[in-house]
Amino acid sequence: MSDQENIRILLVDDEETLLEFLSKRLLKQGYTVKAAFSGEAAINVAKEEPFDVAVVDLKMPGMDGVETQEKLKEIQPLLQCIVLTGHGSIQSALESGQQEAFQYLLKPVDYDQLVAAIKDAYKKKMELQSTKFREEVEKIQASGLGAHGIRKAIGKLQKIYGIE
Amino acid sequence: MESNSSLSADLKKVARELQSHKIELHQTRAYLQCILQNSTELIFATDAEGVLVSFSKGGVKVLGYSLEEVFGRPISDLAEDPESFASVIAGCQQEGCAVALDVAFRHKGGEAVYCNVSLMDLTNREGQRVGSVGICQDITRQKKLQEDLIQVDRLAEIGRIAAGVAHEINNPVAVINEASGWAAEVIADAKGLSPDDREELEGVVTKIKAQTLRCRNITHKLLGFVRDSDLAKKEFDLHETLKETVDLLKSEVKYTSIEIDMNFVEGPLPVVSDARLLEQVFVNIVANAIHAVVAKGGENGRIEIRTLKRDSQIEVSIEDNGGGIPEEHQDKVFELFYTTKPPGKGTGLGLPICQNIVRNLGGELSFETTVGVGTTFTVQIPAQ
Repeated sequence: MSDQENIRILLVDDEETLLEFLSKRLLKQGYTVKAAFSGEAAINVAKEEPFDVAVVDLKMPGMDGVETQEKLKEIQPLLQCIVLTGHGSIQSALESGQQEAFQYLLKPVDYDQLVAAIKDAYKKKMELQSTKFREEVEKIQASGLGAHGIRKAIGKLQKIYGIE
Repeated sequence: MESNSSLSADLKKVARELQSHKIELHQTRAYLQCILQNSTELIFATDAEGVLVSFSKGGVKVLGYSLEEVFGRPISDLAEDPESFASVIAGCQQEGCAVALDVAFRHKGGEAVYCNVSLMDLTNREGQRVGSVGICQDITRQKKLQEDLIQVDRLAEIGRIAAGVAHEINNPVAVINEASGWAAEVIADAKGLSPDDREELEGVVTKIKAQTLRCRNITHKLLGFVRDSDLAKKEFDLHETLKETVDLLKSEVKYTSIEIDMNFVEGPLPVVSDARLLEQVFVNIVANAIHAVVAKGGENGRIEIRTLKRDSQIEVSIEDNGGGIPEEHQDKVFELFYTTKPPGKGTGLGLPICQNIVRNLGGELSFETTVGVGTTFTVQIPAQ
């Protein structure tokens, strides 16, 4: 379960009971899970902690899934979002203008399907992260920084991995 | 002599006047005749007792009868409800005229014809009533259109409500789904359970999961029905789509003696339409055909899929030799939520959705059925 332990998941849904059972199952499988019951709460959590994958409900009172996802991405650009929708049509979800999501799943979602989507999203995040890391390292090498610059650069690299 | 000549002058004058009256009369008669012959409305005249003495050409169109067939019959005989129509005529006698809206008549062929009727008394020179004249305007078509519109409106409303309900229900169903999933894991890890209890509980959880899937299936289908999805039209070979449909359903006929024949026009059949949606339609209809044949016993079951190209129209017929659709179900086939299958087997959404799809593609879905012989569903769509 070593790869799963490393996936940090943020669940966002106003349906508290749903998140209760979903987090229990994901935690049991060894994922790191945080639950937020509104878009606003999710933003606050994301400001404090880095995540790899967010699972966001499309329809929530207050900040809806589209906006939540956009804001989360502003805070953590590499974060991959899976959007859950009760709409019969994924198409209609796509039309609402959030091409940013990694994947859309229909509610009620099949658990295995969700886990598979989370793993795929994580893989994509890892790829993006490595690319970004390599770019930054190349930048550092090219610029030939002094001690102060290296310290700053390492801070930046840590930020990419979400381990500051 | 003088009186003689003035007399002859008078006579000439009278003759001239008579001639001009004659011309006028002739013109008036021609004018009236023209109206009676050309009007699409039924114009009739009765004597004082309400017995028909005149019946215009329009009457043939409206009610199917000619003057000869109805001459001498009371006009109220032609109405669906002779008594209430007789009372309309009686009202006319008192007031001199009467208007009755939406009066049902019976066409010679047996079907009901709805008319707006206006009646007027016919009087002689002494002012005595000698009969009445009536004009019947056929409003059957308007009435039908209006009913259709109301029906369409109602359906759309039901659709919106259903979509709302489906959407709301998805949330609790999702919770049940996750709760049962968690319960399954707790049971799997539980230490103190006897094997019997464990088996029992696992069975229960599996059932809960299966039932949530059933709910999910219904709500998703419903939401799919209501949304006006954009059609993804492109050119493809309809024969390929049909072959894929049959392939998809192979497992359904695997252990039966049902034969599926494909009788296609030669070569590929290119159409510009939405392949995915059409496949959904064909899968639905062929699956229904299979069920019909199986329900009949499945012996010598045969399903024939035919294609036909007619000018710019493509026709796909799916014929089965199942039990046919009983008469009392025939007009409900495309009704939302109508199903003859046992609970859990049918949602009553399949064919209404198919009809919706075919219409959205600019076509028409129809069927012919004979009880005990079988049913043929026909999908007609434009080739382009």
